[in-house]
Amino acid sequence: MAGKRGATPATYSPSLTTAKGKKKPPIFTDDANWVRSDGRHFHQCRPAFLRIATVNSASGSAYAEFGNTKVIVSVFGPRESKKAMMYSDVGRLNCNVSYTTFATPSRGQGSDNKDFSSMLHKALEGAIILESFPKTTVDVFALVLESGGSDLPVIISCASLALADAGIMLYDLVAAVSVSCLGKNLVIDPISEEEVYQEGSFMISCMPSRNEVTQLTVTGEWSTPKISEAMDLCLDACSKLGNIMRSCLKEPLSAPEE
Amino acid sequence: MEVEKELVTPGEVLGLGSDFKAGKGAYFSPDTKTIYASLTGFRSIIPPPIDATDQRPTVEVSGHKAHGAVPEPGSIVIARVTKVMARMASADIMCVGSKSVREKFTGIIRQQDVRATEIDKVEMHASFRPGDIVRALVLSLGDARAYYLSTAKNELGVVSAESAAGGEMVPISWTEMQCPLTGQVEQRKVAKVGA
Repeated sequence: MAGKRGATPATYSPSLTTAKGKKKPPIFTDDANWVRSDGRHFHQCRPAFLRIATVNSASGSAYAEFGNTKVIVSVFGPRESKKAMMYSDVGRLNCNVSYTTFATPSRGQGSDNKDFSSMLHKALEGAIILESFPKTTVDVFALVLESGGSDLPVIISCASLALADAGIMLYDLVAAVSVSCLGKNLVIDPISEEEVYQEGSFMISCMPSRNEVTQLTVTGEWSTPKISEAMDLCLDACSKLGNIMRSCLKEPLSAPEE
Repeated sequence: MEVEKELVTPGEVLGLGSDFKAGKGAYFSPDTKTIYASLTGFRSIIPPPIDATDQRPTVEVSGHKAHGAVPEPGSIVIARVTKVMARMASADIMCVGSKSVREKFTGIIRQQDVRATEIDKVEMHASFRPGDIVRALVLSLGDARAYYLSTAKNELGVVSAESAAGGEMVPISWTEMQCPLTGQVEQRKVAKVGA
């Protein structure tokens, strides 16, 4: 049969040679009237679309779409911790972030992302009242359907919505926003193309109503005034994102009454 | 109970710690002396009992979708016996109180927790059989593997059992159950149901 035809790939994958051969597009120039490829201002976030209760089999779930970044998070449990785990008086949080094979423009393996998993864990852990489910584990599975930049902040915000949907006791929702440093400019909520050219990135995840930060990551070279400017930008965006998340949670409860 | 039509989400302020006590779905933060919601639902205020020394009303979040039931020390559970060993029996917890659990939880009934008297003379095989449905009390969170359960009360023990012939067995004494099909008598730690 056709099995021996070695030249034919087993599955279809679009050829990337044309995209790779192109010269890097000049998306970034240092002048001030540079516009972002999606027409946003530097300090303008992508429009957010959020939904809860999107996965039937999970205890709680949420779907988030920020521009091209599309993420679905399912929460399971609280359920019995694995037998190999040590005894613990408080609950445990288990996070897993994975990418679909079609998440990035170059067709990947759809592998787990260990870095993101542990960062998601750190960002959420502080916001959960772990004492409310002793000895048991809550599993958070995040699946990136399409990676369009600022993946981790979207995953974190989406996961906190899913936890709230699952009825897990939380100190507060967690909203996360990132900022990229491109030359002299700070751009909020960067898309993939902007992340490629960034000199530094800054991400904050915070509990908007408690005014507490659960995680802060800085990469690259930053000056002190830039850091404080980025922090102000992010915290302001987090509180606005928090309000959007709250209205998303309230939506299904308030709808049937009117 | 006074139910307000105000929807709250985790992190929203419910009131000041000096005016209210935190109830279900709410928590008190000592740093800010404020009560916040920890779940999504409606804010409701429960007036304090008239004879209570603390006259602050309780504020809680009601009408929310809570997470699945989790066994806690002191709760009464319904469990299915899966394995009977010489010193203990293991059981899968199916209900906590009146709520069924969404996930599987394992419990262990140790030899000394089967009955209240003559605890050193307990025969595990004469108390439970695999497949029995038992009502038990959660003693503690137990070890890394399982919750510790106890049936050392009159109303605790086997509530439903199937005989070798497949009949629903009828309790005939504190320690015996009989099969209605064959008349065979089997030994169990029988629970006093009802009354």
